[in-house]
Amino acid sequence: MSELPPKSSIKRWFLTTNHKDIGVLYLLTALFFLVFGGLLALLFRVELLSPAADFLGEGGYNQAVSAHGLLMVFWFISPFAFGFANYVVPLQIGADDLAFPRLNALSYWFYLFSGLLFGVSFFQGQTFSGGWTMYAPLNTPTYLPGEALGATTVVLALIMFVTAVTLGSVNFLTTMYRMRAEGLRMRDLPLFSISINLTVWMMLFAFAALLAALMILTSDHILGTHYFAYEIGGEGITQGANNPGASLLWAHLFWFFGHPEVYIVFFPALGIMAECFQTFTGRRLVGRKWFIIAMVLVALQSFIVWMHHMFLTGINLQIKTVFMATTIGISLPFDLMVFSLIYTMIKGRIRFTTPFLFSLGALIVFILGGITGVFLGAVVLDYQFRGTYWVVAHFHYVMVGGATALFGGLYYWYPKITGKMYDEFLGKIHFGVYMIGFNLLYFPMFLAWETPRRVFDYGDFATTIALGELGTYVIPYEVWHNASTLGAAILGASFLIMFYNLFVSYWRGEDVGDNPWAYATSAEWAVSSPPPLENFHGTPSYASGKLEFLDDEEVARRSSGSSGGGHAGHGAAATDGGTSTDGGAIAQAGPEAALATGTDTAGEHGHDGHPDHASLWPFIISVAGFVLFLGLSGIRTGGTFYTSLTLVGAVGVFGSFVGMAREPFHSPEPLLAERWPYGSVEKMKLGMWTFLASDIVLFGAFIGSYVFVRVAYGWEEWHHLIPEAHVTMPGLINTYLLLTSSFAVVLAMVAAEKQSRKGVLLSLGATFALGVGFLINKAMEWDHLFNLHGSEAFPHGWDLTTNLASSTFYLTTGLHGAHVAIGLIMVAYMFTRAWNGAYMGDEKPIEYFGLYWHLVDIVWLFLFPLFYIL
Amino acid sequence: MSHTKLYTAIYVVLFAFATLQAVVEYAGFLEQSYWLAFWAIIVLSLIKAVIVAAYYQHLRWEPRAVSYLVVGGVVAAVALTAAASFSIT
Repeated sequence: MSELPPKSSIKRWFLTTNHKDIGVLYLLTALFFLVFGGLLALLFRVELLSPAADFLGEGGYNQAVSAHGLLMVFWFISPFAFGFANYVVPLQIGADDLAFPRLNALSYWFYLFSGLLFGVSFFQGQTFSGGWTMYAPLNTPTYLPGEALGATTVVLALIMFVTAVTLGSVNFLTTMYRMRAEGLRMRDLPLFSISINLTVWMMLFAFAALLAALMILTSDHILGTHYFAYEIGGEGITQGANNPGASLLWAHLFWFFGHPEVYIVFFPALGIMAECFQTFTGRRLVGRKWFIIAMVLVALQSFIVWMHHMFLTGINLQIKTVFMATTIGISLPFDLMVFSLIYTMIKGRIRFTTPFLFSLGALIVFILGGITGVFLGAVVLDYQFRGTYWVVAHFHYVMVGGATALFGGLYYWYPKITGKMYDEFLGKIHFGVYMIGFNLLYFPMFLAWETPRRVFDYGDFATTIALGELGTYVIPYEVWHNASTLGAAILGASFLIMFYNLFVSYWRGEDVGDNPWAYATSAEWAVSSPPPLENFHGTPSYASGKLEFLDDEEVARRSSGSSGGGHAGHGAAATDGGTSTDGGAIAQAGPEAALATGTDTAGEHGHDGHPDHASLWPFIISVAGFVLFLGLSGIRTGGTFYTSLTLVGAVGVFGSFVGMAREPFHSPEPLLAERWPYGSVEKMKLGMWTFLASDIVLFGAFIGSYVFVRVAYGWEEWHHLIPEAHVTMPGLINTYLLLTSSFAVVLAMVAAEKQSRKGVLLSLGATFALGVGFLINKAMEWDHLFNLHGSEAFPHGWDLTTNLASSTFYLTTGLHGAHVAIGLIMVAYMFTRAWNGAYMGDEKPIEYFGLYWHLVDIVWLFLFPLFYIL
Repeated sequence: MSHTKLYTAIYVVLFAFATLQAVVEYAGFLEQSYWLAFWAIIVLSLIKAVIVAAYYQHLRWEPRAVSYLVVGGVVAAVALTAAASFSIT
């Protein structure tokens, strides 16, 4: 653990693991990417002033459009929402931080460096140009200009981003189920926190499917597998023949993620709208319970509507019909939510502040976006609208509609984050200009709807407007597109007002107290602005029906008889990292004070029950990860530069993870907390299970991809793609090895319970040996199959690039093998610790590792029959 | 039954089931009736997976909510696979 310097020090921002600091970092970084993506949009809007590629050129236009979509969807909207989530959710639920603060910092740095990696792609010849949905086969090197170097970098940047998202999802879920204030039931959470809870649930599963798609795509780019390629050579599938499932496989994987992503983006906005409507109408949300139920329904339904994005593909009519019904069904809960917000306004007394105006604006544009989306859910209408600017307009009314509410959130929580009030007049001016720009930009797209998506040439289309006796007017599309470009400029300019307002207010704004908003009742408004480092003076509790803060004695009394590590209460919380104050007096022996003086008298890890807030390792890991991914991007095209980067990055990632694992870092669970429904599942275990649930979807998507391409090819015809030498025995031996290693892990746990050091060492040693045996057996098998030179059917051997069957076999079992290898690193680490006397009477770490190892075992139980028998 | 004995018994069952899956192939059942043998092998894998999750991962002794979490992931993966595969039939 390192010292946490004050906020005025640059060093603090590299070290901090505090949720409020991380929240601010997310907000600032997301705004940077808003400007980045926005400037790209302005560039291609200039291109669209005339229907010809006379400004950016064809390639430049494709890159600008693709990068704009990817940056806005991935690097701006969700991270912006998660800036608020980081800052506000722990405060709203009564926690002093997230469950895993260093993991939170790691999420942020992965996010930042993934965005920087995307930026680097512009300097590698060309960035990705295949559209933000990255449809196959346009996402494969064959169809990407140059050597697809920049495009590969973008795919890797997305993998790094998804890793950040997954870590964040695990962290938020663990926090919200383990660290809620006493008496705070899930249903009683503030609506913003509820929206974030549902968002992270969707993220956990949806992004795992995207991760699978991206890993497979990376393999197609770097290793030469054939998942998304149409024409492949080699045996089995002859040159020029189709891989029948290629583009549909990408569409399924992408949209299984992509449709929940719409709600992942929109739910935090909905939460902000609900908060602002309540605060600025002075009324509890009408039908609050039904509003929450509707959100839960949408979160569930979001996973059963994805094929409405594929109505124009070759999927069968039965499935189209089913997905039309589910898609139209998902609009019903949204209707309920919209009416709830409208009735809240009717029943309350509205105060037209800037946050409310943005929330109201978001509701209005979302209604338009939602209604125009229902058209796309109907198969027949979708045949007409798909691939046109109708979709572009609808999509932006929904997504930027969500962003509109997020800007409302920025004004809403700005006083809490900075302690200063923004200029209300400028805020309202910003809103007015924003709405004019927004509607002038996007509404004409409905009128010019026959413009093909992603194509700069909109030809000589025109809109005919018949006004009865007033005449009939024919307006060329060029007029609408020029209006849109003007709207884009106005929308962009509106942000200059916002940045000016927020920047000047930070220095000259009026100081605010705890709560500048009448009727704002959630817990973040019960503490100072900005809040203290550890959030609350005392332990928050809702047990009496209202928020109160308990002292250490009361916490100890209430928690007596319950178990779990942690600290009794919070003691004096520091307002900043530099000093620790208590009622104006310098607190004696506070952790920050001890750190500031370099003294370490406060216990085992330099704390006195207080949590740590600083670690440099998340930053270092992310730098190393950046170098590794940058190296990987060029490893296919060769060159010692990229190979060297890969090696340096890999060593760096490994070393820095070991460094973080060895760093003492104290982040206790509160003694007193509401933990339904995971009351007896301690936070490490819950974190592990949550991660494993995501890993199940990752493996499931890999196995699902294999099943899909095999069904597309012909399930039993598939056998012709596999050499005779690919036999069952190596798989059976590996099954025995893994099963035995799983057995050894449970024996290690039993030995730890019995405090048998010898037993723990023997069992962990056996686990390690069996895992190594598994990998050696696999390596021998692969080597044999690679070199089948005597084979008549496969004279060049059976390797990754030979055919579809070999691609799926090596990649899926390779992913599993990578999991085994990572597990072995963990076993080696635990063996070393056990050698030094750890785990005696404390079998929990072995149990947590076992959860991972057994899942790896379970996955193999399906890979074995699918790839070796059937 | 002590935990060690229980874990050992489970290991023996898992070992036997894995062997049985290979026997189905070596005995030529796949050639005789591919889809019957296919489902027999898949069901054996399912049983093994449930046993490992329930006993080695201790799901049987955890709050039901942990099982729901796992089932959520499995359902998502199966829904994706089944619906996608059906869509091209």
